[in-house]
Amino acid sequence: MTTYNSIGKSLPRVDARGKVTGETPYAGDLSMPGMLHMKVLFAGRPHARIKSIDTRRAEAAPGVVAVFTAKDVPVNEYGLQWQDQPVLCGPGSSKPGADVVRFVGDQVAVVVAESEAQAAAAVKLIEVEYEDLPVVTDPLEAMKPGAPRVHEEIGDSNICVHYKIRKGNVDEAFAKADVIVESEYRTPVQEHAYLQPEAGLAYIDDEGRITVVCGGQWTHEDREQIAHALGLPEDHVRVIYPAIGGAFGGREDMSVQIILALAAWKLRKPVRIIWSRQESIIGHGKRHAVILRAKWGATKDGKVIAIENEIIGDGGAYMYTTNKVLGNSTITSTGPYFIPNVKTDVYGVYTNNVPGAAFRGFGAPQALFMAEMQMNKLAEKLGMDPVEFRLKNALKDGDTMGVGTPSPSPVSVIQCIEAAREKFGWKEGKRKEKGNGSHLKRGRGFAAGFKNIGFSFGYQENCWAKIELRGKAEVDEAILYHASAEVGQGTHTVMTQMAAEALGLPLEKVRLVASDTAVTGNSGSVSASRMTFMSGNAIRGAAEVALRKWKAEERPAVGEFKYLAPRTTNFEPETGYSTPNFAYAWVAQAAEVEVDTETGHVRVLRFVSADDVGQAINPALVQGQVEGAVVQAQGYAIQEEYKTKDGYVLTDQLSTYLIPTVLDIPEKVETVLVEVRDPNGPWGARGVGELPYLPVAPAIAAAIHDATGVWINEFPFTPERVLRALGKI
Amino acid sequence: MKPAPFDYFAPAATEEALSLLAEHGYDAKVLAGGQSLIPMMNFRLVQPSILVDLNNIAELAYLREGEDGGLRIGAMTRHRQVETSPLAAKRAPLIHAAMSKIAYPQVRTRGTFGGSVSHADPSAELPALSLALRGKFRLRSQRGERWVPAEEFFVSLFTTVLEPDELLVEASIPPMPPRSGWSLQEVARRPHDFALMGVAAVVTLDEKGLCKEARLTFISAGDRPMAAERAAEALKGQAPSPQVMKEAAEIASTQEIDPSSDIHATAEFRRHLANVLTRRALEQAFQRAAETTQEG
Repeated sequence: MTTYNSIGKSLPRVDARGKVTGETPYAGDLSMPGMLHMKVLFAGRPHARIKSIDTRRAEAAPGVVAVFTAKDVPVNEYGLQWQDQPVLCGPGSSKPGADVVRFVGDQVAVVVAESEAQAAAAVKLIEVEYEDLPVVTDPLEAMKPGAPRVHEEIGDSNICVHYKIRKGNVDEAFAKADVIVESEYRTPVQEHAYLQPEAGLAYIDDEGRITVVCGGQWTHEDREQIAHALGLPEDHVRVIYPAIGGAFGGREDMSVQIILALAAWKLRKPVRIIWSRQESIIGHGKRHAVILRAKWGATKDGKVIAIENEIIGDGGAYMYTTNKVLGNSTITSTGPYFIPNVKTDVYGVYTNNVPGAAFRGFGAPQALFMAEMQMNKLAEKLGMDPVEFRLKNALKDGDTMGVGTPSPSPVSVIQCIEAAREKFGWKEGKRKEKGNGSHLKRGRGFAAGFKNIGFSFGYQENCWAKIELRGKAEVDEAILYHASAEVGQGTHTVMTQMAAEALGLPLEKVRLVASDTAVTGNSGSVSASRMTFMSGNAIRGAAEVALRKWKAEERPAVGEFKYLAPRTTNFEPETGYSTPNFAYAWVAQAAEVEVDTETGHVRVLRFVSADDVGQAINPALVQGQVEGAVVQAQGYAIQEEYKTKDGYVLTDQLSTYLIPTVLDIPEKVETVLVEVRDPNGPWGARGVGELPYLPVAPAIAAAIHDATGVWINEFPFTPERVLRALGKI
Repeated sequence: MKPAPFDYFAPAATEEALSLLAEHGYDAKVLAGGQSLIPMMNFRLVQPSILVDLNNIAELAYLREGEDGGLRIGAMTRHRQVETSPLAAKRAPLIHAAMSKIAYPQVRTRGTFGGSVSHADPSAELPALSLALRGKFRLRSQRGERWVPAEEFFVSLFTTVLEPDELLVEASIPPMPPRSGWSLQEVARRPHDFALMGVAAVVTLDEKGLCKEARLTFISAGDRPMAAERAAEALKGQAPSPQVMKEAAEIASTQEIDPSSDIHATAEFRRHLANVLTRRALEQAFQRAAETTQEG
């Protein structure tokens, strides 16, 4: 086994001291002399046309410096995938349809004042005349012909995404199946609930650039969207990330960036905004709610031979990344198994709900809930152990996936299943002890999953890094320039470790300059679990160049490198045939739960997660990712309920939207590191951010079934839902 | 959010507080631990123009043994004081045991007995427990003093018999008779959140081991702490069998409580929980009563 100097070690985080002591500023901590304060007027209604906006009273209010509306936004549109969202909704802008609000969190106007209280008071003085439009919140209703249209300008219905998989011949295969399981599943919305709500500060820097300091996940993409909306060249805009209080995918899409830039640009003064938790919960995208219909057939020797899936994702009011999220659902809807005959249709639908957004797992947790429930039900129907059944069907090198091509090698789902089985102590067959007559019943459940590392579907993945070596005879200091966002996951520590390894230097000599479009190139997003893989390759490339120049006696020796990942392809429209990804990571998990069959409470006693991360750069950080993901996914599975009525959000505070506390989390989470190296990954690394989240919900569902005998096809598994399933209420 | 503007008084003696209440009663709110009032003010659900802060009144914070052998609790006694008091554990074990179920240590360090009772939140523990234990409250004003039993004190949601110029200064919890047992059962969405449903049971056995008296009170089951008297009556004179407890739970949960639906639970679910928890509470209370009997 190779020995490394810096990687593979649980070194302390480079950002720990500043964050623990409170010295490190987050966006909401920033201030500047002469700074103004901004407040947003949200629509507060799910679907309406704005007839007029009267800002005169607000403009005359004490301390108010400016009020901006749709007519002030040069190019009044934005969006990560489709530019279908107005920056500010209202009449008077060039963009057709920008006068319509499509969900409660649409932004209508912003007030800039000398104090936050003055801005808040003036927002209430803005008079908006609305003409309410028919509201559609159920995606099944929204798909029907004649349903109220959310975007009249786009397409000919609310269906904004449709993907197909056609592999083999499902009709013939179903005829040969000995058992068939058919079910409909529903997975819920989830709020990101990052520690720090949206906040930011914008100003004009020394070189005259509109500078936005705000948490995000991809500095250069933020800059592109801001520049587009302001109608400016990109180099007129600068984006800097301060410390970021969590992201989980939720900061991929814009929230306050464009309005901050607009105000700073127009007023030539620093402007700050801090959203409240309530604003954060209504004003920004959530995990997609998805309806999944599945029919899976297997032979009595335990081979799954045919599947037919229909998946309908609630995209909410705007595209955000719905097309990519559901693309991912499409790929993962087979589970990590070799299935010769597949027919799948996936739809994304516009509704008047809060938009569906990127969220850890990016469409895979929903599809895998369906796939793993189907697998567990089939195993039960066949009288087979669910782990053995999985091993019989698990993908191996060379097996084609649903998309008709094999996964890049090596495929390690079998190693993960075996590792989880061993750690959990999973024995075949039914166990005897199940709480002997008590109302407390215990059960165990198993599930597996997989997900891509890096961007998919033909996008040429790339990542930039620069290393500057300073010193004379010896290297005194190595400066690593990189745009990657540290959202709490530990990427800056991991990158520093990788740079030290690549340069053969002690960690202390590496200094990181990160996340500022003025001094770094485009390193891409912290999403798709991609940053370790992508930045590691970029850093290795930059280190090689810098070391070469150092040997050639250049001082400082500067190496710049843009890593290009292997090419991928998009779905062939009628069959889904493609090589959509250049790397995957694999996971298997086992859960033990206790169900109070009288009160309906589900408690996770023990959770084992075996994740193939390729090579753990920092094992303690990997373990942190696993434990955090399991806790977050347990909240998704058991506890968190984003309740809405007719497009209005009922759970807009953390006293009504309940996330797990330390007393709710599993009593024991055990991490098993599986390290099957990816040939393209830096030192073999794959990625970990999303992986341990993926099959938590179906593992818990299977354990509840084992404990109680009932399958519950919709979650969260709240006490009330469990009791109804048990027929107790 | 920040509260609406208000005038603030922090008297150092009870008399001074009573004088302020006599003068400003209708416009004033009394601030005790502030664990409910301050959030409500910050959300502007209440906007008192005057705040009378009792936190400087040291004479209102105490725990004493009552003449009857029970427990006397000064209105400004913090939950945490009760929780850590051997005297409270001995003289009012149900109150003592309940403390660890009230919110979190941070809240208990600040929250007060008198504040919780006066606030009369039907989802709080102390009003229902005071009712289960036949507690009474001493109310003072410049006009005089009166003792009001818990049965009469709670009127409806956040409403008590306290007059605007009156202050609850003390609670008296009588001792449980010999051969008594108790239990508090709760279910919440998360540990230490407000209970979706809670049941307190206090039972007393006679010499033959039959139920001499029972008290059942409910948390989050109506617009005030609710007592199930018919269920208690049905237990009287009975040997405490599973069947008897099941019947009492049925009566209480279907006939004697009035839970509502809200964002966290439906009324139907709450009734179901009341049934389950009443049975569990009675089982534990009768078992404890039998154990104390055996101990002599």
